[in-house]
Amino acid sequence: MPELSLTVNEHRYEVEAPIEMSLAHVLREVVGLTGTKIACNEGHCGACTVQVDGMPTLSCITLAHTVSGEITTIEGLRDHPLIDAFVRADAVQCGFCTPGQVVSAAALVAANPSPTIDDIRHTMAGNICRCGTYPRIEEAILHWRD
Amino acid sequence: MARLIRTEKEVEGRFEEVWLVVEEDPLTQWPDGPLSVVGRDALRQDALERVRGEARFTADIQLPGMLHTAVLRSPHAHARVKKIDLAPALALPGVHAALAPGDAKGLEGEPGYCGAAVAAVAADTFGQARRAVAAIAVEWEVLEAVLDPHEAVRREQFTMPSSTYERGDFAKALESADVVIESTYRTSVVLHNSMETHQSVCEWVGDTLNVYISTQYIWGVRSAVAAELGIPGDKVRVVCEYMGGGFGSKNDPGEYTFVAAELAKRTGRPVRCALTRREENTAAGNRNLTIQKLTVGARSDGTIIALGGEFINGVGWSGWSAMTDGPMQMLYACDNVRTVRHGAKINMPPMKAFRAPGFVEGTFGLECLIDELAVKLELDPLELRRKNYANANDDTPYSSKNLMECYDLARKHWDRRDEVRARSTGTWKHGVGMASQIWFGGGGPPSYAWTRVSSDGRVTVVTAMQDIGTGTRTAMAQIAAEELGVSLDRVTVVLGDSARGPYATLSAGSSTTPSVGPAVRAAAADAKRQIIEIAAQRYDVEEHVLDIKDDVLTSADGNVSTTLEQLLEILENSQILGKGGRGPNPAGMSVLTFGVQVVEVAVDVETGEVRVERVAAAHDVGRIINSLGARSQVEGGIIQGIGHTLFEQRLHDPETGRILTTSLDAYRMPTIADIPEIVCEFVDKPDAHLTNLGSKGLGEPPIVPLAAAVANAIRDATGADVHELPITREEMLRALEAAKKKERRGAPAAV
Amino acid sequence: MELLRPSSLDDLNGGLMIHGGTEVVPLLRDGILKADTLVDIRGIVPRGVKGNRIGVGTTLAELEGSTAIPEALREACRLAASPQLRNMSSIGGNLLQSTRCWYWRLKYPCHLHGGDRCHAREGEHREHAIFANDYCASAHPSDVAAALLALDARLHTTKRELPIADLYRLPDEADRHVTTLEPGEVILELELPAVEASVYLKAMDRQRWAFPQVGVAAARVAGEVRLGLAGVAPIPWLLTGPEALDAATPLPRTAWKVDVARALVRRALDRL
Repeated sequence: MPELSLTVNEHRYEVEAPIEMSLAHVLREVVGLTGTKIACNEGHCGACTVQVDGMPTLSCITLAHTVSGEITTIEGLRDHPLIDAFVRADAVQCGFCTPGQVVSAAALVAANPSPTIDDIRHTMAGNICRCGTYPRIEEAILHWRD
Repeated sequence: MARLIRTEKEVEGRFEEVWLVVEEDPLTQWPDGPLSVVGRDALRQDALERVRGEARFTADIQLPGMLHTAVLRSPHAHARVKKIDLAPALALPGVHAALAPGDAKGLEGEPGYCGAAVAAVAADTFGQARRAVAAIAVEWEVLEAVLDPHEAVRREQFTMPSSTYERGDFAKALESADVVIESTYRTSVVLHNSMETHQSVCEWVGDTLNVYISTQYIWGVRSAVAAELGIPGDKVRVVCEYMGGGFGSKNDPGEYTFVAAELAKRTGRPVRCALTRREENTAAGNRNLTIQKLTVGARSDGTIIALGGEFINGVGWSGWSAMTDGPMQMLYACDNVRTVRHGAKINMPPMKAFRAPGFVEGTFGLECLIDELAVKLELDPLELRRKNYANANDDTPYSSKNLMECYDLARKHWDRRDEVRARSTGTWKHGVGMASQIWFGGGGPPSYAWTRVSSDGRVTVVTAMQDIGTGTRTAMAQIAAEELGVSLDRVTVVLGDSARGPYATLSAGSSTTPSVGPAVRAAAADAKRQIIEIAAQRYDVEEHVLDIKDDVLTSADGNVSTTLEQLLEILENSQILGKGGRGPNPAGMSVLTFGVQVVEVAVDVETGEVRVERVAAAHDVGRIINSLGARSQVEGGIIQGIGHTLFEQRLHDPETGRILTTSLDAYRMPTIADIPEIVCEFVDKPDAHLTNLGSKGLGEPPIVPLAAAVANAIRDATGADVHELPITREEMLRALEAAKKKERRGAPAAV
Repeated sequence: MELLRPSSLDDLNGGLMIHGGTEVVPLLRDGILKADTLVDIRGIVPRGVKGNRIGVGTTLAELEGSTAIPEALREACRLAASPQLRNMSSIGGNLLQSTRCWYWRLKYPCHLHGGDRCHAREGEHREHAIFANDYCASAHPSDVAAALLALDARLHTTKRELPIADLYRLPDEADRHVTTLEPGEVILELELPAVEASVYLKAMDRQRWAFPQVGVAAARVAGEVRLGLAGVAPIPWLLTGPEALDAATPLPRTAWKVDVARALVRRALDRL
């Protein structure tokens, strides 16, 4: 199997994976970081969102071998203030989409530390939450630094 | 003492007479209103691990040597497998075993819908399994398929007997009515789309089967799997620590569990069987379509004297016919009601319970009809509802009903009508609508809980229930903390493992809190009683003068004051154990939940775009346990309701019955950009007759009235009557055109 | 499967080209696209906006925030797909995306797949075309293409220069492709004329993250008003004027799209 070198949360991983394997699959089943979830596996729901060089990216439709940038997963954001903001705002129900939400939100606040509600709605629209915690996600992001 | 009773048990609006062993429920209810912990905002106990991605879902279970399964699904809506050859699949690399129809429950030799499971393969990787499934050679005999529910009704092809209900004399009352309105409403099939798809991992350890599964009912899975495999229930251990949503679709084990168990047996390896998103949206259940022909007759003063409905549920190939007629029978005081409900058996994927099944659909029809009546009589829709307020469920008294208080809470939102309508500019028309909610949600026995109190004064609640994302751990912890007089952060809840806790009921039908909550309180009270017995002996005082509050045990005269740790340190590593069970429901009473929602919409009358701008919800579900979690449930129900109302719709190919909207670009659910302002209020009055808590469930009620309230707001804004869900641009433009025609004929389009 | 990362255009020699992968990866997985060799062209196609030229490797996310491009294009990028998809997708890939027709995506043997019928016409077609829909009723989903059509953009490829209208062709019995791109041909740059004013309006069911039910781009270019529509035909549709909507040939369940298009065209023209 082709070899692959990935930088994930500032650690370097040398793994083997077929060309057709998605980044999400490599992260979850090869590297063992299961915080990134797969919910639709075709790029429509955002549960698998990771950052590549800070850019929210759908890892389920990204071929791992095509990634050259630095990957940040939810495991790399465990001390981010957004974690506490999500907990405080009760921005979670079942929690399956939540890691992806946090990854998207972290990129948003990095680029725009004081996002408006419109900014949040525009930038977070690619992360589906079937439980409907959106009002709380909005609140968590609005007050992420409090 | 355990007591045996014969009682009616309700789950998701389905009733059956059963023998039940119930515990006595000697505790008196707490006083009304927020207490120290209960009735207040509590952050989720498991929020951190969920937010940080550390919570381990079934999808995250990776066992050494685990195999992956792919399932062969029927390409025909109705067909018979004449011949199947698994050999080509078994010959492929990585393949370990394959199952043919009949080898596991749910693998059908005569599939009744396109997408039904037929065969399965386990391989080292999912990709290998999928390729192997494609290699299975099947010779099909294609059979006649009925896709049209009307045709099924014509043929009397039902999944269960049709249900007729009558009180009074509907036909006669209709003749004497001053006004009669007949309307037909339709609701489309919608899909649960839990973020975690249906899945399980099965692993044999000795003669015990471990089942890791995303489920709403670990005990139901345990008994169904044990029965299917012919092994004792205690040889099946079912684990679901965290699960990624269910909404009613995960009450049963499903074919994936039977397949995984059988493949695990044949291969001696752990086996995962997980539905893909596309399988999920085909074969994992749905809220079925309904067609509702409704009639209301009223006096000119607004008194409703006749209600009638013919309801068709397009159930699918199997499943039950949910109570679409329930709201019409139960919501209003009307002496003459006649309903007929058919469950059409069609060659389409089977329904599964979906958040207040039947009532969501039936409330859409009924509450739109009521507003059409209000328009015709030129009456205020809120006044019309108050005028026809029901004070009993048929002849059965309510255990509690505070719908009138909900109407009072809704008044200030309803009074925004003029202000909202005045916002209309250009092609955007604004309006306000409302709809009432009635649903079950009382839960019932049995359910059990244990408590452990350690020498450090910390409490563990153990109950083998599951948290489907509603915040069960937190609510149960609050109840135990309140009863024991300890702070919330001292309580941990352990759940989700059938081998490690007592029976608890399913998390469906808004029953978790009202069913398990009272058991947790009883278990906490049992532990508290023992702590006080110990203290009474240690400090040589009467038990009745002692109480625990804020983690401190004190006597009424103040002579004893000791922290729990000081008192219990003698336990060292041992513990005080409490147990508790859920008492019976009040005999001869209807236990129901109520509410009302007031919705503000904006409609672009040229493009048919509908925006829900504000939803105010007032619900009566007895005592609120976690006010924060309760608001989150209401918001979630409303947001899911917005999807059902405006754009969610499962579509199928009319020729083959194949589902077309299996991916989430085609089946569209609300995003964060679609949410309105949501205001949420509770009556928060304990149901004095219902258990030691007085709490009812809240998972389902908020989704019930939303669609009708939106449709009624649209009528208020535009004069157009929408008759179909979802209210797509196509439906909205059709309704606007019909309203224009009506206006041209001289009838007023709107009041 | 192998993955190549050529260092220059000259090294291109067959294989399936992939940029953001948002379309290619799912289609490969579904077996709609097949390849033994993938060619990652991110390193060799131009990226970024220079004057009136846009490199095809520029992402939609980069363009939605760019003040250097006309409003219609910016807005089309802003309202396209989801934030993550905009981060990943190049504008070139967006132009070449396939239809969302569910029959096509589910591999029904339809005309576009080389088969002998259009399943949508007789079947479920409520999101389908209102123009040129007799052979294939699919609707082209590119917001960006509609905008570029209205803006009268020109494409520079490895082989030729052409107006964007010529990139697309209606499929027919002889040729089922919807683009005129030749095997191995790579679009490199888009060139925009001087645009006096432009606007893009999009009807979706959700407020965000939905393909266009109807997208309408209007632009005034060299005194001439041009209209480009998305979601109404198997290819991005150039509308000669509002009255051209009278010639629409909707299917039973797409008639509503004509009403929506009429309103959006009128509004777009008002806004110019």
